[in-house]
Amino acid sequence: MPASVEDRAKTGSSDVGRARGLHEDLAAVLIGAGLVILALAVTWAGRPDGDRASREAHPKGWPTPLAATVGLPGTWTDSPLAAFRDGSGRVAVAPVALGMGWVVAVGTLGAVLGGGSVRRFLPGGALLAALTCLAYLLAAQKVVKFYNLEYPLWALAVGLLVGNVGGVPRWLTPALLGEFFIKTGLVVFGAEVLVSRLLALGLPGLMTSWIVTPVVLVSTYLFGVHALRIPSRPLCMTLAADMSVCGVSAAIATGAACRAKKEELSLAIGLSLFFTVIMMVAMPPAIRALGLDPLVGGAWIGGTIDATGAVVAAGESLGKDVGEVAATVKMIQNSMIGLIAFAVAAYWAGWIDRDVSGPRGTLLGEAWRRFPRFILGFLGASLVCSALHGLGPAEALWVEGATTGFTARVRGWLFCAGFVCMGLQTNVRELAPLLASGRPVVLYLLGQALNLVLTLGMASLTFGWLFRNAVAP
Amino acid sequence: MTGLAPLRRSPAARLAAAAALTALVWCGLLPWVLELGPVARHVALMEARRVDPSAMYYTELERLPLRPAWVDDVLVLWPSPW
Repeated sequence: MPASVEDRAKTGSSDVGRARGLHEDLAAVLIGAGLVILALAVTWAGRPDGDRASREAHPKGWPTPLAATVGLPGTWTDSPLAAFRDGSGRVAVAPVALGMGWVVAVGTLGAVLGGGSVRRFLPGGALLAALTCLAYLLAAQKVVKFYNLEYPLWALAVGLLVGNVGGVPRWLTPALLGEFFIKTGLVVFGAEVLVSRLLALGLPGLMTSWIVTPVVLVSTYLFGVHALRIPSRPLCMTLAADMSVCGVSAAIATGAACRAKKEELSLAIGLSLFFTVIMMVAMPPAIRALGLDPLVGGAWIGGTIDATGAVVAAGESLGKDVGEVAATVKMIQNSMIGLIAFAVAAYWAGWIDRDVSGPRGTLLGEAWRRFPRFILGFLGASLVCSALHGLGPAEALWVEGATTGFTARVRGWLFCAGFVCMGLQTNVRELAPLLASGRPVVLYLLGQALNLVLTLGMASLTFGWLFRNAVAP
Repeated sequence: MTGLAPLRRSPAARLAAAAALTALVWCGLLPWVLELGPVARHVALMEARRVDPSAMYYTELERLPLRPAWVDDVLVLWPSPW
């Protein structure tokens, strides 16, 4: 008999972190770190002969043998079967099946470390991997893909649909390790957050990203809490981060850092993707109509549109140089996620979640006790890979190959599985009160308006005036 | 009408109906939308420039963003490895 959404929400379903096993955060850190180390080691072992420092020869880093073990469904137009063919039209199901295998493998390992049962996990884990693949398949349809409706949206939709329409069979519940998949994915994701990227556009890029982004993040959060009086602080923070930093990836990292509920994270992601599509279509003609300098327009796009892919799409539609500036400004913002997630986690542990009625300890001690450990894993992976990336041109290509060829795809599968679990465990009626007040939408719109004004001002100052001569193509 | 009532109450039947509707939209409606002028032009431009608008993070882009060659070196705070 299928379990109701209410039952699943009440009882929880995770085998990770139960008695006898490791804490869920620690299991996520161990498995995530293991995947990053595996990626670096195998990529190093398979390093190319010849000029290892040549970016012309290796534009996305050294090729890694692990890339063949984790594929994604390809783009398709009218037949989903086309998603399982390679570039030359041959059937290529194995890489996608292996990608699903990583979901099952990580989930199984998580269940074991958490003291759960492999036999209980596996049947549900197999169905979860299939639903994850279905979500990727929906996201790979050409119109959906080229309008930036990313896989988290479809993963949530698939989960919500199955959970609320069909119901979840009891044997699936041991596999619903949503938080564990997200946390493990975040630790793996840390390898892609390279601090050395922050300097890619020198001072103008740094000023556009580092001055405006924190101002908008903090202003939007405070406005939501104090002016709009949105009762959930985590919702305000998740919305502020996904709008001011870089969309879904920032929402996942900060949402996890401030322990946002799954409904809140779902809402933040839905809003972000909806407005991203509108801005991706509307900003290029607006820039043309305003007669903005192309470089200023590119920086404006990069600093305001949430999603990385949409930034590049909007920038490229105005020209190659514009796309280059837009992508680089967005990449600088991308690189801020680690520090922002750490700051949010520290603020929550030390201030928001403090227990004023409990025994008084030192502020640092109390903060440390509540600090989410997986954020340390995320930050650790980021710092180690940033340090390796900064050693020299060959090492930079080593890290880029390991991340673009393997870790980025694995964490994609893990995030996607996590969102399917969230959808399966969410009662669609719980989303209604969040939307009914309309306040989260107002917060997003006002925050984005502030972001648009401040970023345009800063982009005009840096790219249009102060450093004009130094950054002109 | 009453003959359909048990079907509407059955979770499996409702799920099958939802799946059929999804298949209809994804395999019928969206390919038709793709033929529309502005959509077709947008997709063609993105394909021609090898842009993946669905990338969630820069590492998922077809081409990694690099420091543009035309940025003057005077603006770099310390040497970049790439």
